[in-house]
Amino acid sequence: MGELCQAEIAIIGAGPAGMAAAIRLTQAGIRPVVFDMGNAPGGQIYRQLDVPVIGETLSGTDYYRGRDLLGDFSRADIDYRPRSQVWWGQCESDGVSLGVVDAAGVSRWHVKRMLLATGSMERSWPFPGWQLPGSMQAGAAQILFKEGGLVPEASPVLAGSGPLLYLLAWQYCRAGCAPQRILDTTPASRYRLPLRYLRGAWQGRHYLVKGARMMLALKRAGVPIHHGVEALEATGKHRVERVHYYWRGHWHHQDTSLVLTHFGVVPEPQLGRAIGIPYDWHEGQQCFLPERNRSLQARTRVWVAGDGGGIGGALNAEREGRLAALSMLTIPTNDVADRKRERRRLEQRRATDLAVRPLLEAMFRLPSHWLSEQPDTTLVCRCECVSLGELRRAIEQGAAGPNQLKAFTRCGMGPCQGRECGESVTRLLSTVQALPPQEIGYYQVRPPVQALSLGELAATATDA
Amino acid sequence: MFQRIAESSVIDGVDIQLDGEICRVPITLSVAAAVLFIKGDADYRRHVDGHARAPFCLMGCCHECLITIDGEPNRRGCLVSVAEGMSIERQLGGSQDDG
Repeated sequence: MGELCQAEIAIIGAGPAGMAAAIRLTQAGIRPVVFDMGNAPGGQIYRQLDVPVIGETLSGTDYYRGRDLLGDFSRADIDYRPRSQVWWGQCESDGVSLGVVDAAGVSRWHVKRMLLATGSMERSWPFPGWQLPGSMQAGAAQILFKEGGLVPEASPVLAGSGPLLYLLAWQYCRAGCAPQRILDTTPASRYRLPLRYLRGAWQGRHYLVKGARMMLALKRAGVPIHHGVEALEATGKHRVERVHYYWRGHWHHQDTSLVLTHFGVVPEPQLGRAIGIPYDWHEGQQCFLPERNRSLQARTRVWVAGDGGGIGGALNAEREGRLAALSMLTIPTNDVADRKRERRRLEQRRATDLAVRPLLEAMFRLPSHWLSEQPDTTLVCRCECVSLGELRRAIEQGAAGPNQLKAFTRCGMGPCQGRECGESVTRLLSTVQALPPQEIGYYQVRPPVQALSLGELAATATDA
Repeated sequence: MFQRIAESSVIDGVDIQLDGEICRVPITLSVAAAVLFIKGDADYRRHVDGHARAPFCLMGCCHECLITIDGEPNRRGCLVSVAEGMSIERQLGGSQDDG
């Protein structure tokens, strides 16, 4: 594995939080190393923005807003390492040890401080047929759109809940491939919630106005929107041929070759959990979030910023990145007062921006009993093909927690390492045992947290 | 099944080999996106249970896009950009080494 590489500060991820943190650190004379799984900085939100493929009229303005950040990042003196995956990490008294794999092979790092800016992933939300080709997440469709200007040949069905669903529908309309229909699992009455959350609604009016405009544009384009869809199913012999949805007391059917789903996003947990950060269930966001203090610090030498610490969106991620950078700067300097002011300003803006979150969480709240109402044949673990019925039986036979359920059924033991089934398993156990998700917990996550090839594994073993 | 919109900017192409067949694809695509662009999603990959699977998240999480790139099996196609002369083979045999 070669010699030990060293750095003052490592940042994992180059989305808005990681980029903003790196830029702020360079302003204080520190050259951070940034490990990024992507091929270019930007994360998922600003993917391909370094060499944009789609214009602003198609993407919407929020995408192009990232250009300043990308520009600053590319001009700053940063040890940026694209196509680098951190597969192992361990907190130590004098810093953090990391195992990194890139095109050159595996390397070991020791850094004094680390920022996790690993972002979020689409929430896994099983329904019958979700594993068929022709069923994709809305985020995946957006990536195809940003990466190559790719849109579906045949008009898709969009289903689920949350702002991204409408953004994608709006983008597809602009690109001339309007969706057949939108199956919104959010009841129509929820869209009146802003009237009850006036402070949040006022401070988040930018988001609400944007959402309302998109919905209006979709209605004008003649896209049917069904609010309050209660169940979903995709069927087909070898791929999706039809979607079925339960709406207003009846099952409805729609022929389609593509169903794009979105059920919100959750923090990507693997590295944070593997290095021992405690995660707590957040009732509003309906997922586990890492424990952080006001300075966004999760362990003595580890900080977490951006959506990986809690869902707040790209602007919030940028501010959190800067806040974390300020907190990581421990060397005393003569601009302490300036920094305090900078921190206060960032904290105020962050609080203003986050004020809309409780409203958005209430609006797009998912039914926590969804999974337990699915038929037994529904796959929960896509990798190991473990069905809901098998999980139910294992629970009846005494599998009391996520790790036991894993050992009983192989659920979560496949290549994705439980990313796609972890919170489903927590949710199912929580419903069956009538215990809060916090008490159920989550899988024990162990390295490697990124898939290594056999050759790479061998290289790490010879060093150990 | 996926097509390029006319309004997208002109991008350079690269020649890749997909199961031995030479195809020209936009240079900005990942391997997974390139396969979806050329072949669609119906025959992307065969899972351990013998059923067809296709990319689901395209951001490195779901591992549904596993594919052989330049002879190395079970790579996440969504994390690797296409490159001139790259050889891509779909894993349609229905077996899968632990990757």
